[in-house]
Amino acid sequence: MSDTATRQIRLAGTGGQGLGLAGRLLADACVAAGHAVAQSQTYEPTSRGGSSRSDLVVADGTVDYPLVTALDALLLLDQAALEDAPALLREGALVVTDAALVPHPPAAQGELHALPLTARARELGNPRVANMVGLGALVGLAGWPAFEQVERAVETSTPARFRELNLAALRAGRALVATDASAA
Amino acid sequence: MNAVVRPRNLQGNRACALAAIEAGCRFYGGYPITPSSEIAECMAAELPRVDGVFVQMEDEIASMGAVVGASIGGVKAMTATSGPGFSLKQENLGYAAAAEVPCVIVNVMRGGPSTGLPTRPAQGDVMQARWGTHGDHPVIVLTPASVMEIHAETRRAFELAERYRVPVVLLYDEVLGHLVETVAAPADAGASATRRFASGPADAYQPYRPGADGIPDMARPGDGYRTHTTGLIHDEDGFPTQAPARVGAVMARLLGKLDAHRDAIERAECVDCGDAEVVVVAYGITARAAARAVAEARARGIRAGLFRPITLWPFAERAFAAATRGARRIVVAELNAGQLALEIERLAGRERVGRLNRLDGEPLAPAAVLAAIADAAGATGER
Repeated sequence: MSDTATRQIRLAGTGGQGLGLAGRLLADACVAAGHAVAQSQTYEPTSRGGSSRSDLVVADGTVDYPLVTALDALLLLDQAALEDAPALLREGALVVTDAALVPHPPAAQGELHALPLTARARELGNPRVANMVGLGALVGLAGWPAFEQVERAVETSTPARFRELNLAALRAGRALVATDASAA
Repeated sequence: MNAVVRPRNLQGNRACALAAIEAGCRFYGGYPITPSSEIAECMAAELPRVDGVFVQMEDEIASMGAVVGASIGGVKAMTATSGPGFSLKQENLGYAAAAEVPCVIVNVMRGGPSTGLPTRPAQGDVMQARWGTHGDHPVIVLTPASVMEIHAETRRAFELAERYRVPVVLLYDEVLGHLVETVAAPADAGASATRRFASGPADAYQPYRPGADGIPDMARPGDGYRTHTTGLIHDEDGFPTQAPARVGAVMARLLGKLDAHRDAIERAECVDCGDAEVVVVAYGITARAAARAVAEARARGIRAGLFRPITLWPFAERAFAAATRGARRIVVAELNAGQLALEIERLAGRERVGRLNRLDGEPLAPAAVLAAIADAAGATGER
């Protein structure tokens, strides 16, 4: 299978921002939607800080090569995690960044949405759900997989005490891009 | 009966742990280390549910000792680690090889040497897995290339360990350990090999007298058989000997005991090797890149093929010879400075073999393998 038969997504930030969890939830939503997924992760040997990313390759059949080679979408929650992403972005790729934490987003190649992801999470009561805000924004803009599948993955796979907050953050992310799209 | 479950996402390390329990593993002695820790985490959660025992030991030396002890006690046992821990396990791994104690050791490879690159992939333990412990010794090393195959090869590791009374190393890289893939695995692939325990008259039992297959029966503790276990070279009665004639006979059986069973032990995949001018040899995550590269090379009109060892040691020499008989060039792609390449050069001759190596903590991408194939094809005059 060639690259063009897959959709490739990177969720990147720093250790502790929950990109691994966000990747797992998105992967579960993709499987529920009938796709095959390969999700890989790269992180530094520290539990907080250092770049951390979760990459997804999504296919309709099976995934032959499980690592990303050309990104269709990038969620970037911290400048430190930009790394090799600019070189991997496809023409017209969707890029969602945290407006405050990514002062220098990748230029030109993609459709850029610099959004107040962490600020919105803070308004909801916990900056740590910026990952869910970002995921909601990314899926809202991509229109794929179905938002309901992502909601269901959050419901089934996150601890009960964070469920409502996570869902609220996910929906807040989608709301951010609904506004963003109408303003554009 | 195999009930097929609906597709789900499963992590490589978790697949390893679940397969071990399916295979009947009931003891895990370990010391967590990145990037293998999820195996310990999963075993700690799952083993008590099947009346198994999980022990986090004080270090890797002790954990390997506990695994050997548990296996002598009659229980299928395993441990998992990464390079630094694998180094520490070598002494007791050698004891298991000498005393013929079945056990499974998982090494999820990260960059080395020493503590190296804890969260980055490498394939630098290929030779250590074969020769890490001192002295000539038998060992089996399996090297899966996907989450599904980690599951299958973990099960097979226990089969081979029990059947041939040998330590089996499951060797895969950090990418595969942490990789999550959509799988549609059988809920349970059925019962695994049970250990062949000694039966018959207890007074005639010799703990290291081989059966017809060259493998001695183990005594189950409590069954009344008198046995003795030592890392010293021992005769059929289990007690040490240095008599040259006996040592020669004992070592010949120990080192040759896998030979009669290589068809059952060796496993390899060949893709498009039949008419290939250039054959890539790759394993683990590198084989996934190589498979893509071979397909793209074919699309460009280059007759490329892939030879992928699944059993790394003993190396599948006959399958390799058949796969590369017509190849002018062989490219060995691996995340080390050239380890399996040494074996391939031995088998195919140095003049036919090229190397593609990466040592910076990143996996080899399909494009890099494709470029190496194109170079090799150019050297054959095919392009």
